[in-house]
Amino acid sequence: MTDDGPPQQPLELILARNLISIVQVAAFLTDAQGDVLFYNEAAGEILGRSFEETGRLTREQWNAIGPVDAQGNPRVEQPLPLTTALQENRPAHGRFRIRSDGGGVVSVETSAVPLVGPDGFSGAIVVFWPAGESVE
Amino acid sequence: MKVSFWGVRGSIPVADRGMARYGGETACVAVDLEEGARVVLDAGSGIRGLGAALVGQHRPIHILLSHLHLDHINGLLFFAPFFDPGAEVTVWGPPATGAPLRRRLARYLSAPLSPVEIRDLPARVRFRIAPSEPFDLEGAKVRCALVSHRGPTLGYRITDGDNVLCYLPDHEPALGQPLDRGPDEWVSGLHLAREADLLIHDGQYTEREYPLTRGWGHSRAGDAVDFAARARAKRLALFHHDPTHDDGALDLMRVEATDRWIAAGGEGSGLSLAAEGTSVAL
Repeated sequence: MTDDGPPQQPLELILARNLISIVQVAAFLTDAQGDVLFYNEAAGEILGRSFEETGRLTREQWNAIGPVDAQGNPRVEQPLPLTTALQENRPAHGRFRIRSDGGGVVSVETSAVPLVGPDGFSGAIVVFWPAGESVE
Repeated sequence: MKVSFWGVRGSIPVADRGMARYGGETACVAVDLEEGARVVLDAGSGIRGLGAALVGQHRPIHILLSHLHLDHINGLLFFAPFFDPGAEVTVWGPPATGAPLRRRLARYLSAPLSPVEIRDLPARVRFRIAPSEPFDLEGAKVRCALVSHRGPTLGYRITDGDNVLCYLPDHEPALGQPLDRGPDEWVSGLHLAREADLLIHDGQYTEREYPLTRGWGHSRAGDAVDFAARARAKRLALFHHDPTHDDGALDLMRVEATDRWIAAGGEGSGLSLAAEGTSVAL
């Protein structure tokens, strides 16, 4: 008998990854724990590093990117849309600053949407784009 | 394990003489397990002939539906065991939001589309959602997963003793991603097909047709070959033949697919186009 091997990712994650890999808007995909499974080329341009360079990121690694204040210091008190999507299983939207790989601070606007398949909540898709300086 | 093709056509049954060699009935594959039980993959128009061959046999029958597109269920009303009070049939199908499987199928098996209501079937018929965890079925292990197609669609992997059959009749794993790179876990259906003794896979379109049909949930034959090679399937049977492809066109597709299969390291005899009325012993 042959070995079945590990299962595939949930189909909704596979299809979401296929989608964000071809769109021009910056986006990333997380699993149910918030670990970043994939981010696209546009997101890599904002972050300063491509997914091919970093691979998967744990939630802790991702949190190191932001949110930060204008000086680049962490703002732990600010809830992220992704956190809301993961914890409350609902879409969320917000503006905040992140730290790029080069050390600069970039304002972004973000929408996070939970992905729910037949086996339940499997992760979230997050779209973000550069915002103006009206970050609170 | 014996695998018999009762319907290999996709989309709609065809009765053209020029298509008779490969066959015109839609998706239905019978799997005879080592311990004598029978599993039926899909209930396209090909299940009519299978049902006629089962008259008088009262072993439990399991029908595993990949999905509920019409070409995969249009033979249900003509499956003879449904009208046999002594027959016991379990219909397994994909999960979906909203109505349970029985009610979803009743949309077809009810007025005004049908003269017989699903509740009136004389046989003992049960409807079950195929679980996402592997499950035992008459001594075989069945594993299924949602795969890339339009609407909730399951692929199946049946392990019976030392033999593995994988059934991915409607599948477009190359949609939005190349099949020659990236981790295995991100390729739809790959874990079901891994090292299968026989992979039955959608190969509906030619290279020339595919640009017009991309995203419809079906594969060009070349992608099916690449997928099978990546899965290290031992044999590949291309399936779900397009209703516009006559025997000559399918012969040509077989030649081209075989060249690709050999180039990928396969033996020429390992690739076939599924043909109605044929069987494969594993």
